[in-house]
Amino acid sequence: MGQFDSVMRNEQTRRRFLRSMAVAGGMGVLAACRKDVQSGGGGPASASAIPPITQETGELKVHEWAGYEAKWLWRDYAKAGYPDPEFSFLTNTEGAIAKTAGGFEWDLTHPEIGYIQDYYDLDAIQPWDTSLISNFPKLNPVLSEAGKLNGEQYQIVLDWGYSGVIIRTDEVDPSINSYSYLFDDELAGRISWFDTPWILSMAHVTLGLSSDPLDATPEDLQTAKEYCIEATKNLHSIWVDYTQMWDDVTQGNIWAAYSWPDTYVVLKEDVPVQYVKPKEGVFTWAEGLILRSDTENYHHAHEYADAWADVTVGQRLVSTWGYGHSNLDIDLSQIDPDVVEVFGLEDPEGSLNSGILDAYQPQRTEYNLAWDEVKAAAG
Amino acid sequence: MATEATTDDHPRVAASRTRRSGKWRVTSGLLATPLVWLIVFFVIPVVLVGLYSVGALTLLRNDVFLSLEKWRFFFTSDTYVSLFWKSVRMSLGVSITSVLLAYPVAYLLALIAGRRKYTLLLVIIVPFLTSYLLRVLAWRVILGEQGVVNSFLQTVGLVDQPVEWLFYSQFAIYAVLAYVWVPFVALPIFVSLESLDEHLLEASSDLGASRLHTFRTVTLPLSIPGVVAGFIFVFIPTIGEYITPQLVGGPGGFMFGSAIQSQFTMGLNWQFGSAMAMFLIFAVAVLLAIFGRFLNVRSVAE
Repeated sequence: MGQFDSVMRNEQTRRRFLRSMAVAGGMGVLAACRKDVQSGGGGPASASAIPPITQETGELKVHEWAGYEAKWLWRDYAKAGYPDPEFSFLTNTEGAIAKTAGGFEWDLTHPEIGYIQDYYDLDAIQPWDTSLISNFPKLNPVLSEAGKLNGEQYQIVLDWGYSGVIIRTDEVDPSINSYSYLFDDELAGRISWFDTPWILSMAHVTLGLSSDPLDATPEDLQTAKEYCIEATKNLHSIWVDYTQMWDDVTQGNIWAAYSWPDTYVVLKEDVPVQYVKPKEGVFTWAEGLILRSDTENYHHAHEYADAWADVTVGQRLVSTWGYGHSNLDIDLSQIDPDVVEVFGLEDPEGSLNSGILDAYQPQRTEYNLAWDEVKAAAG
Repeated sequence: MATEATTDDHPRVAASRTRRSGKWRVTSGLLATPLVWLIVFFVIPVVLVGLYSVGALTLLRNDVFLSLEKWRFFFTSDTYVSLFWKSVRMSLGVSITSVLLAYPVAYLLALIAGRRKYTLLLVIIVPFLTSYLLRVLAWRVILGEQGVVNSFLQTVGLVDQPVEWLFYSQFAIYAVLAYVWVPFVALPIFVSLESLDEHLLEASSDLGASRLHTFRTVTLPLSIPGVVAGFIFVFIPTIGEYITPQLVGGPGGFMFGSAIQSQFTMGLNWQFGSAMAMFLIFAVAVLLAIFGRFLNVRSVAE
């Protein structure tokens, strides 16, 4: 927070400078870049200040992942007769945060839980009124808790999944059951990582280091980094294209890869694979909807989130996409038993509690610089 | 007399002035569009990135107001400076390879193909009407472990196991980038060869020079402007390249461009990304100036 505080202390100086730049250079666009960027988070909207749903425009702007605009994901909202939302798409959350800081407008967006703090710091979001979301009590309390900041519900956490390891069981011993697959000399040339600093955290837990794997001490981060650098000699690839990794696993070019559970759902019929949730605790991502602090569609946004939280959406999301959904009323008898087992859906709260849930990373910059060093060393 | 002369000259001077003023209006009109384009889409963005890199502009939480910290960090970091030189090496290698591959193509088209040259030129360009990513990914089918080349080598018994260095390797980066850029290099060389005065070649031949000697002393020197233009066409964009190395380069596909992209995306560290981007712009300008001096671009241009 130190750097941030220092920036905010200089707010007046900076504004004056920006104004002079805009006047001198005719570059009003520079000043526009600062729009909406203030310190602190958005407070709860005052009930009296919120107009009823009938007075809202209903033109909901949703900044979403490509594919998440599918109508079945917000079926009840559509059935209620509200106008279709206007979708814009994000390719990564960091880009979405930068666009938001630059003044890009949306009513709802769908980041991972580790980024709510960034939106909060931009004063871009406000807490939800969960009493307006009929499905909220059915959502997984572990995930809902992760969507809270300062005791308030800033995110309705909806979809989640694991970042585990997919292995070829004809080449790799499944009983090892560890993130060590991703670093193992025995698998040299057959390992694939995803391009994410979470690999450092996976090295951290493999080595059994004592600090928080998502917020390590400098010494532990250094140790994990060196371990990763040493392991780069065993890499087949650092995948950026998901389907390319699937092909490589199918063809036997890769025996162990960082992956999400949908890899298992897609490949299990064709190749001998197993989705490993390592004994060190599986890293788990989760994401959900956050509400813009100055939305003019407060009630519509709640209706939309309610539709997403519905059990029918969860049922389909789990069975067809292989993603988890936070609604606990999902009928497990309708879902592939393998998927139920992989997700631990018999006891979703227990499964999540035994893993390592994504969280805000105060040392994100340090992790990213370390991760760059690892990738640079791989050359 | 003086009055008469002034009276006589006056319409001519006025006409000349009108002509000059008309010419100026046409020239400035023609210049205006590219100038505005350059200012809006090049100068202003570069200035913004430059201001951002020193904290004169801030946008994100971690941005530091008016600070050279990111520049200092860059210059003291072995990782990023090494990545820069890695990209320079790759870019030089790809540029030289592209020129060597493109020259025979351009020579064939300009001096041998005759009236079919434009048809052949079209044939070379046609694959480039498809998506860049598709063309890059198609190389996986050719060079991958189960790809065409490996299957052939195994079928004819030249190797027992797939040759792994064909794909996800530095070789793959060079091969794919050279493939991507060869037509862009071939075009300027083709233009310079096509504009050769054929009488010079005939004169050389009449004076008893062999074809090789003619090529070395007449054709090649006169086509150098195209070669230099082609080289620069490849060098500038490939030095910041990151998509292709990421897709085909395997673990070693992390380049300087990848580091910039990484800071702007997952790093959420725009200031550091901006500092590296500005350094790349400066470095490319300096390298081009050095190349220009070394390759004597001025005489080439004349």
